[in-house]
Amino acid sequence: MIGVWRRHQALISGVTSFAIILAAWQLAVDFGLVKAFFVSSPALVTTQFIKQLHSGEVLTNLSVSLYEFAWGLGLAVVVGGACGIFASWSRTFEAVLEPFIWFKYSSPTIAFYPIFVAWLGLGEPTIIAISFIFAITPVYANTLSGIKNADPDLIRAARSFGARRHDLFLKVALPGSVPILVAGLRLAVGRALTGVVAAELFGATAGLGFAISFYGQKLKTNEMMVSLMLVVILGIIFNQLLSLLESATDSWRTGPGRAE
Amino acid sequence: MAVTTQIEPRQVPSLGALINRHYSLVVSTISVLVFLALWQISADQGWINARYTSTPSAVARAALVIFRTDNFFYHAWVSLSEFGIGFALALVVSVPLGLVLGTSRSIRLFVEPPLMAMYTAPRLALLPILIVWLGIGMASKVAIVFLGAIFPIIVNTIAGVRDADPRLIQAARAFGATRLDIFTKILIPGCLPAILMGIRLGIGRGLLSVIVGEMFVSEAGIGYQIMTYGQGMQIDKLLVYAFVVSIFGYSLTLAVKLMEDHIRSWRPAS
Repeated sequence: MIGVWRRHQALISGVTSFAIILAAWQLAVDFGLVKAFFVSSPALVTTQFIKQLHSGEVLTNLSVSLYEFAWGLGLAVVVGGACGIFASWSRTFEAVLEPFIWFKYSSPTIAFYPIFVAWLGLGEPTIIAISFIFAITPVYANTLSGIKNADPDLIRAARSFGARRHDLFLKVALPGSVPILVAGLRLAVGRALTGVVAAELFGATAGLGFAISFYGQKLKTNEMMVSLMLVVILGIIFNQLLSLLESATDSWRTGPGRAE
Repeated sequence: MAVTTQIEPRQVPSLGALINRHYSLVVSTISVLVFLALWQISADQGWINARYTSTPSAVARAALVIFRTDNFFYHAWVSLSEFGIGFALALVVSVPLGLVLGTSRSIRLFVEPPLMAMYTAPRLALLPILIVWLGIGMASKVAIVFLGAIFPIIVNTIAGVRDADPRLIQAARAFGATRLDIFTKILIPGCLPAILMGIRLGIGRGLLSVIVGEMFVSEAGIGYQIMTYGQGMQIDKLLVYAFVVSIFGYSLTLAVKLMEDHIRSWRPAS
């Protein structure tokens, strides 16, 4: 018994912790401490979830949001990665991009939402654009710093064995920066999801963010909670997948250079 | 890293040497100027529709109008106080909580999973329910700033405490330090850079939250103005407000970054 506890301590505590939160939520509503109108309850959310599952609403919202998310993230990875690689090659290119990256980094991206609506119309293209802009910075920044900070000893060793520029890039810098690239990807996934949901709150015809905003404005808490929970669960699943990828790509590394 | 004392050469450096030394700065400046010029020219020549993109000169004119007549300081004050209150609350809660969670493994095991769930989930999705709970006024924005800023600070504080150098703690123990001594003299100074990094991330999240919150539903504030001008297709005025927020966010994060570098500079590289 104690052995089981020791080995799976984190898992058991985690599950207990979520169970306590759900139980407290349900009991608080059942005993009338808070009104179900404001906070809904796990039982009500579950009933509503099954209802929305049967009507196909869950599947529609989920697939629309995931479709926009995939486009936003994909574009960010391609464009951000390419810009990062070019910037790591050329100091001039890096300096050309620098002010715009900084502006993007410190500006609340969503402020440009109305402009995107003017350019691309309300709905899918605008949401993809917002998600793309949310996600591109970590991809660019991590690609750049990952390649630039390649281990100088390895570079010198490769050079002395006659490696050319593209050899250095393909065989030393790129593989060496994989953990940093994956860390950037992990940040980008979170931001792309935030971008999709935030943009959908403002204007969409389907999607999780749309459902949250739509039911929220009608004060239908139960219906809103279904999509809210789905967003939270989606965030957790993506994060877990990426941390698996992180440890998988990092596992061949040994010694002090290993990223935590 | 941050402070390099350098003996200045006697003679005035030539222009070529100056450009060489500040190469990146020069290229960056040229890049921005070219961008602005292209923007202005292509709108003037009708290559792009200035109705959708505005022009740099129109934005500059709009800025003058806004600072003079648009109740700018009122809206800025509303946003700033929502941000300030939310962020201060986040700071008060997150740092002590992070220190406790970093020190105690048993509490951390229970609290960390829901904490990480909130940290990774897009918290802006909570906006509609916060409006239901707290109304469309300032309270809901304070709450969304609080939720946006609190998690990066907690997570970084925990990481800072856990990364505290065990040799220092052992040494202090050997010299008879109490638990409190270790806490106040090793752990807190030791995780200050990590806390500051959390604060820096929190500032970005908090600013985004206040703007999104005001754009979603509100009665006043910078985000409210952005949405109003966006819907009225007054892109020049919208851009002025977006620039103001960017400059504010940039200066604030830069200030924290400088503090971070300053604190890090007196400790030996580990």
